[in-house]
Amino acid sequence: MPPPLQAQRLLLSHRRLNPSHRRRFTAVSSLPSAPAKTLATGAAPSSILSIRESLLSGERTAADITADYLSRLRRTEPSVRSFIHVADAAAEREAEELDRRIATGGHDVVGPLAGVLVGVKDNLCTANMPSTGGSQILDGYRPAYDATAVRRLREAGAIVVGKTNLDEFGMGSTTEGSGFQVTTNPWDGSRVPGGSSGGSASAVSARQCVVSLGSDTGGSVRQPASFCGVVGLKPTYGRVSRFGLMAYASSLDVVGCFGSSVVDTATILSVIAGHDKMDSTSSTHDVPDYKSELIPLDLLESKPLNGMRIGIIRETLGEGVDTGVISSIKAAASHLEQLGSVVEEVALPSFSLGLPTYYILASSEASSNLSRYDGIRYGRQISADDLNGLYGGSRASGLGHEVKMRILMGTYALSAGYYDAYYKRAQQVRTLVKKSFNEALERYDILVSPAAPSAAYKIGEKINDPLAMYAGDIMTVNVNLAGLPALVVPCGFVEGGSAGLPVGLQMIGSPFSEGNLLRVGHIFEQTLQNFSFVPPLLAEG
Amino acid sequence: MLSAASLAIPRLRCAAPRRGQSARNQWMQLRRRSLSSSSTCPYAAAAAGSGALEPPDLPRLADAARISLSPEEAEEFAPKIRQVVDWFGQLQAVDLESVEPSLRAGTAGSSLREDRPETFANRDAIIEVIPGYDDPYIKVPRVLNKE
Repeated sequence: MPPPLQAQRLLLSHRRLNPSHRRRFTAVSSLPSAPAKTLATGAAPSSILSIRESLLSGERTAADITADYLSRLRRTEPSVRSFIHVADAAAEREAEELDRRIATGGHDVVGPLAGVLVGVKDNLCTANMPSTGGSQILDGYRPAYDATAVRRLREAGAIVVGKTNLDEFGMGSTTEGSGFQVTTNPWDGSRVPGGSSGGSASAVSARQCVVSLGSDTGGSVRQPASFCGVVGLKPTYGRVSRFGLMAYASSLDVVGCFGSSVVDTATILSVIAGHDKMDSTSSTHDVPDYKSELIPLDLLESKPLNGMRIGIIRETLGEGVDTGVISSIKAAASHLEQLGSVVEEVALPSFSLGLPTYYILASSEASSNLSRYDGIRYGRQISADDLNGLYGGSRASGLGHEVKMRILMGTYALSAGYYDAYYKRAQQVRTLVKKSFNEALERYDILVSPAAPSAAYKIGEKINDPLAMYAGDIMTVNVNLAGLPALVVPCGFVEGGSAGLPVGLQMIGSPFSEGNLLRVGHIFEQTLQNFSFVPPLLAEG
Repeated sequence: MLSAASLAIPRLRCAAPRRGQSARNQWMQLRRRSLSSSSTCPYAAAAAGSGALEPPDLPRLADAARISLSPEEAEEFAPKIRQVVDWFGQLQAVDLESVEPSLRAGTAGSSLREDRPETFANRDAIIEVIPGYDDPYIKVPRVLNKE
């Protein structure tokens, strides 16, 4: 089988999209047997749509589709290790149950996500399925309830195929901080998938599941999306309920999602978004049907982004950013211009302050949130003569290195006499960051930047160097401080691995403008030529 | 390698730059000033009590956080934590006069549900995961260790 067309860092040529080039892309639901060339023409098919169509037409059964994904999962898991827990038996049962309901009840029982396999980051509670948060302290813990986002996916017919690997409690940018295993990047097994939602990103990238849920506190959906060559969405703070998400930093955490296409990501968002009485920070803001706002390729005008003003963040294109990443982003900007938008550089004052501000706020909030892991009501318990000893021993044994560090840093920042110097000042800088983004978003419809200063780096490269790892979050943390939505769409490659390493374009919008981001992201993705974001390991065998 | 990492951290670009001074020097100057005089420095009050921003006292922090650190862990963590806390210090030099602190992003909802008690449907699952349960008590060792 010829290798898929890869790593072509060609700039979009200066030509109008010819009607004959805008053919409607037919989704391919069975990937390994599909000739690689079919995937290489750029427009990402909607797996959710193709699954739905084949179930409704009777062309395929849910059991068949599930078996297909599970066989690919089993084949790739020994090297990728996206999952801490795989619920294959349950998935097969649910698929058979769905087929029975379709046979007897017809199309009414086919919910919007019927037969769609989802991976769920292990810091989201799944009832009666282990949920560890990536931590030994919760090894074997089974929650009594589903997180709201998980419940809504299940109610729409989705099948939870397993719990994906993460940096412990969301703290980290490589997934090496997991208490269980190291996940590798499907594009190069010696490299990290990013973090903290590394397993969710790699699972979608390796097509082990259709879509997945993650969480984003400082970039934990966007950076792995960029590293793994998949679409990742961080919604506005409050867009999706955090009920059932193990809290890391409550003022920054959001539940996000991954897909292999913008349309799949939009479909998931419509299902999980919306007010929840169990989360008082969830917003009552309207939830549009995000998918319906996406225009199919053959109906696009030649300049579909006419009138749009896009600001490319100056501070993200300078020193410390990989030259290959900069050229991918500039090529993406050029593509956006070809689509009719105006792209200008914009400077964001206070941008660099975001990084220490984020780490102060996140560590402080984490030190409070993680005090619940005390060995008393759930999780690992180390017996001791007295209560303090039990707390100290259980937490020392169950919590990992990075988590302990951040709890201690947060405890310091919040201790009496230091609150004003650290936490309060960080909250004030947060006001400055919000202000500078809001001002920029008054002048521009969206802001763009890379999602990370480099493509995926080697496993072990940053593990002993906390500040070097934190530095990589500079592109993403400010968005969490301001609570804004952001979408990452794969846009190009840099050198590395056997077929190049993907780079994602981050698009940032004003609060609750996910619809606009998805619309622009979809147009960008559908018109991006000469790239295929299917990793080489899927072409083998 | 660690110093190279801190050089890689984006340099402070604060709202009221003092020309020719690094962020660290600005912070050291402010600390000295707050110790030597009763200035209008906003965190003089905080500094006055303890005398200065003391570096992290790891054993005390570990105790407050209820994490039993082994001596090897304490030795390993101390320089890393000190390094990160020093890096946090660059916020001291930012002019934050009359800037309101933001508790959160401002995009969140703020609806409270009715304060009406309900019985959770799956209490059994909650009880099942308790390590030391002796119906209806959760067992813990003695709270106070009388010496």
